[in-house]
Amino acid sequence: MAKLKIRDKKVKIAITKDKKKKDKADPEAVPELPVESSSPTRDEEHSDSRDVSQSSDSERSCESNEVEGNDLHHPAEESDSSEDEVAPRNTIGDVPLEWYKDEEHIGYDIAGRKIKKHARKDKIESFLAGVDDSKNWRKIYDEYNDEEVELTKKEIKLIKRLLKGSTPHAEVDPYAPYVDWFDWEDKGHPLSNAPEPKRRFIPSKWEHKKVVKYIRAIRKGWIKFEKPEEEPRHYLLWGDDFTSAENKRQGLKYIPAPKPKLAGHEESYNPSLEYIPTQEEINSYQLMYEEDRPKFIPKRYESLRNVPAYENALKEGFDRCLDLYLCPRTRKKRINIDPESLKPKLPSRKDLKPYPSKCYLEYLGHSGPVKSVSVEISGQWLASGSTDGTIRLWEVETGRCLKVWEVGQPVNHVAWNPLPQLPILAVSAGHDVLLLDTGLGDAEEQHRITELLHMEESASTDDRDLVSWAREEMYGGIRLKHSKAVANVEWHRKGDYFTTVMPKGDTKAVLLHQLSKKQTHNPFKKLRGLAVSAVFHPTRSIFFISTKNHIRIYDLLKSKLINKLETGLQEVSSVAVHPGGDNLIVGSKEGKMCWFDMDLSSRPYKILKTHPKDITNVAFHRSYPLFASSSEDCTAYVFHGMVYSDLNQNPLIVPLEILRGHASSKYGGVLDCKFHPRQPWLFTAGADSVIKLYCH
Amino acid sequence: MPKHYRPPGKKKEGTAATFITRTKAVRNLQVSLPLFRKLCILKGVFPREPKKKIEGSEKTYYHVKDINFLMHEPLRGKLWDIKAYKKKIKKARGKKNKDLVERLIDRQPTYKLDRLVLERYPTFVDALRDLDDCLTMVHLFATLPAMESEHIQVDRIHNCRRLSHEWQAYISRTHCLRRTFISVKGIYYQAEVEGQKITWLTPHALQQVVTDDVDFNVMLTFLEFYEALLGFVNFKLYHSINVKYPPILDPRLEALADELYALCRYIVAGSRTLSGNSQSGISSESEQTGNKKMNIESEESEVRLAQLQHQLPANERGALMNMMEDVNGADEEDQDTKECKSLFKDFKFFLSREVPRESLLFIIPAFGGLVSWEGDGAPFKETDEDVTHQIVDRPSLGRKFLSREYVQPQWIYDCINARIILPTEQYLLGRIPPPHLSPFVDNKAEGYVPEYAETIKRLQAAARRHVLPLPGLDAMDLADPGSLLAEGIIDRAEANEAAEQRQKLLKLEQQYHDELNMELQGITFSAVASKGNSQISTGDVEVEEEGANKALDQVAEDELNFSKVSMSRKQRGLMEAIQIGKERKRNKIELLKKRRKNSEANRNG
Repeated sequence: MAKLKIRDKKVKIAITKDKKKKDKADPEAVPELPVESSSPTRDEEHSDSRDVSQSSDSERSCESNEVEGNDLHHPAEESDSSEDEVAPRNTIGDVPLEWYKDEEHIGYDIAGRKIKKHARKDKIESFLAGVDDSKNWRKIYDEYNDEEVELTKKEIKLIKRLLKGSTPHAEVDPYAPYVDWFDWEDKGHPLSNAPEPKRRFIPSKWEHKKVVKYIRAIRKGWIKFEKPEEEPRHYLLWGDDFTSAENKRQGLKYIPAPKPKLAGHEESYNPSLEYIPTQEEINSYQLMYEEDRPKFIPKRYESLRNVPAYENALKEGFDRCLDLYLCPRTRKKRINIDPESLKPKLPSRKDLKPYPSKCYLEYLGHSGPVKSVSVEISGQWLASGSTDGTIRLWEVETGRCLKVWEVGQPVNHVAWNPLPQLPILAVSAGHDVLLLDTGLGDAEEQHRITELLHMEESASTDDRDLVSWAREEMYGGIRLKHSKAVANVEWHRKGDYFTTVMPKGDTKAVLLHQLSKKQTHNPFKKLRGLAVSAVFHPTRSIFFISTKNHIRIYDLLKSKLINKLETGLQEVSSVAVHPGGDNLIVGSKEGKMCWFDMDLSSRPYKILKTHPKDITNVAFHRSYPLFASSSEDCTAYVFHGMVYSDLNQNPLIVPLEILRGHASSKYGGVLDCKFHPRQPWLFTAGADSVIKLYCH
Repeated sequence: MPKHYRPPGKKKEGTAATFITRTKAVRNLQVSLPLFRKLCILKGVFPREPKKKIEGSEKTYYHVKDINFLMHEPLRGKLWDIKAYKKKIKKARGKKNKDLVERLIDRQPTYKLDRLVLERYPTFVDALRDLDDCLTMVHLFATLPAMESEHIQVDRIHNCRRLSHEWQAYISRTHCLRRTFISVKGIYYQAEVEGQKITWLTPHALQQVVTDDVDFNVMLTFLEFYEALLGFVNFKLYHSINVKYPPILDPRLEALADELYALCRYIVAGSRTLSGNSQSGISSESEQTGNKKMNIESEESEVRLAQLQHQLPANERGALMNMMEDVNGADEEDQDTKECKSLFKDFKFFLSREVPRESLLFIIPAFGGLVSWEGDGAPFKETDEDVTHQIVDRPSLGRKFLSREYVQPQWIYDCINARIILPTEQYLLGRIPPPHLSPFVDNKAEGYVPEYAETIKRLQAAARRHVLPLPGLDAMDLADPGSLLAEGIIDRAEANEAAEQRQKLLKLEQQYHDELNMELQGITFSAVASKGNSQISTGDVEVEEEGANKALDQVAEDELNFSKVSMSRKQRGLMEAIQIGKERKRNKIELLKKRRKNSEANRNG
């Protein structure tokens, strides 16, 4: 066996001796026993080539091969090669040469002497030897046997062939024709002995069916192979016929979507400076409600190249799409009216004169807010009641205070008897109602009055009575003691009956009193609501009671409810009846005034929103077509309220004048207003303790 | 008994019978909601507002007739078919029958929208009237990237680009562009076609922001209809100027993404031959032009020839344009178009790289200018001696030609809006241009006139005078816009004085006539005198100080109060709403004035 190392090429090749021998023997053996010899040859080739590849990989793997080689081959068997004549010097056996690296011997010979290693030549020596010796290139150092081997020409040829990758021996023909040496006859059965079936020789029925199907489909045009012809996508859709009837849109009337708003100056990429909000303004947008917040904040770019892509472009396009197909559309008349045209055409105020417009007189004397005024039927005298507990009697034309009554309690309401021959004053002060003799009129009248107001002591001591009638000690009248505070006193037109209203009186809230008989009735026990005021009809025996939300109308003769007016107001404060008797005005604490036409409906004919604050009182003039309202905002309104005798014509209501002049105080503004019975004059009682007379 | 009890057998009446909720409509039509949506969009059916919403105020109501209209729409059947067909494909795919899948996909049923377009817009003018949204949408999609995930196909984007360019080419060619406005959102254009004002918005030519809060299905359905509509509209428009549609474009220019320019060239080529004076060197053509008598057939063949042979040398373009104008212009064009056509007539523009080329290539030819750009296929080079203006948008430029002016792109837009050639000083290279104002705002109605708008107005007035032959102005004055401006102001002052004097005279004359009339009617002089006195007295009151003024205010307030009192509640509400609106407007103007004052103070101080 031999281990060869070719230093020049850096390739180690392991070639076994016996293989070489066999290779040599091969050509002779081929003719006799081709079968036996061919396979080993192949094996050898195979193993050789493997060896080459492995040895070229790394030196370590080469070493392991050496080990294998040692195992497999025994040099003693047959030796005809030149190396075999010399016995191997190495006797260390199958151990790595490493172990003997530092030793000077390499094994022992049969006599037990050390086999010495050759002395190693140094580089220069070996170089010089190489220079001198022309055959040096074919010398190989055999490390295992520690000797230099000179390769023969044949061996070099073999190595060259191996390096080329061809068979080592040139004589071997790798592509020799294959000879089938196997004797097939009488060697048993093949895999299947069945005869070929017929179906292998005839066309398939099912395939045929499928083909027929396809053919039919193709013939009938169900399957088409050529691409459908491209029709021109666009053509002249709208011809030139402008008049034909078919140019009408079908279906419902088309409502075109409103066009998107066009961009204003602020949307410019470079708007004027005034369109750009300051930083504070932008911050203040955050405090706004989301709906109020401006959707677009203008921004300024100094040149066109700086403008970025708009981030909401797609979103806005999408929103527009949604609007187009989701928003309900209706046709709406664009309101582009002049606000002036909305104002109703009213007759000129000049034509509606006379009406009170200027303050003519002031009646000074009260020291507290004047709650109520009342004018005598002749128009000569004026009575006023104040919260300072006094009632004063004034002469209208001069403003002279004629008389003062001290009642000690705040006066709520004063009312003159409507009969001219009976100048009696009804006063509600606290829980009491006083009937006072004013001392006006001639002696005969005075006599009658004193008779009328005469009371006997004994008559008034029954607790079961609604009201106790008693003599007024101080001023010589009658005192009607009520259970609760009395808000209102109103006379019947004939001057015999009068009514009082106690808002907190529950079932006894509205009472009717008869002066001549000194009797009291309580016909209205069920009122359903807090009574506010009560008024007699000016001509007929009809009675109006206003609760907070309704006006109830009673027939006094039949003593039953005739009508109920729905005011729709939150809290009624005062009622006045037109002297004709068919119309009614109601003032409310929300500053609204309702005009009822009772022939027309039980709902207001007109609601006038006049005052910003509570209406305290409303009043009709007895003869002129005037009415007025007074309010806590220190003003009084005067209206023209014409009622026509023609039933088809609605009442005409025209606001005429706003009367100012009262100073505001903590008790309110204007607390009462009354018209003069004959003249178009208005008396207003203020919380600033002044009474004013407005004349035309 | 329920609230709305209806005895059996009695039919519904009124709103309940004429309106139907969406859910019911969908059920009646036997379609899914997305399909219903698609039908509604394509068919142009929208919800309507019933007087009384019987089934609840939160629901959407359709008119029953609209739904019946949809019911009889063949498209509904077609959509059903498509749905069924899709199932077939799915099934074949499930069975791994590739052959069948391919065959099925090849022959998918399609539908056409031409009938729907005609149904929705029976006349061409109707279509033009509703074109705003269509154009905006198509221009938007022309700038979008194709997204497979959102089913936005590349060919649709290309189609949008093509359609928008065709439209722009037509507008540019017929000079019917009227106003433009660069906003933050994009560039607005307003054109006037057949008397209809059409406004559309094109996004800035940049990468668009694609947000995910958008349902592309809805937008694509709209786009489907709009593509069809715009295609037909373009066909009609091209037909009206005797150009074949769809146009065949120069592949070289198309490859360079200069479709618009290619289209312009195409149109010019197409209409040029109709004018009968073709100069290009094809022999057959020259023979035909030799025969001045041309019949229609030969004309048509020539059109075809020209369309095939549309690649003309670029420098011939101007000459051809002029020829065109000589032949079919003049008689049919109105004043406005003439004005637009000749705005940039004597100018030659060159665009730098950084300016929005597509927009400027559209608008400058629309106003009669010649334009070129940096790049292949451009009609003339930057070094061309005749270039009068170069549009640049950069802080500074290294090499400059002295023979031309370097202006920012805003100058073009402002000139177009003002319809005059504005002085270029403020727009020169490197300066911050003056504010760009919207041409869509009626400043007078708005109540606030920005400073620059006043300047432009003065310049316009000056220019208008300049057009008329004036004795006082010589050529030198006219050439200088600055002096023109001053001239305009002086003229205005003079005019004002004259007008005042005229008014005075008129007043006197009027008074004289009035007195004559009165005498004829028999009114005595004293009455008139008293009236005059009262007038004088009121005059005196005015002279007297605040007290009287206050009283007058009071009276006025009372008047207002009275009219309010006697109004009905509805009218009062309306009037208050009007007043609130006016107040808001006034506040807005106040704010603007305040800001302007502040900025002026800042500038000065």
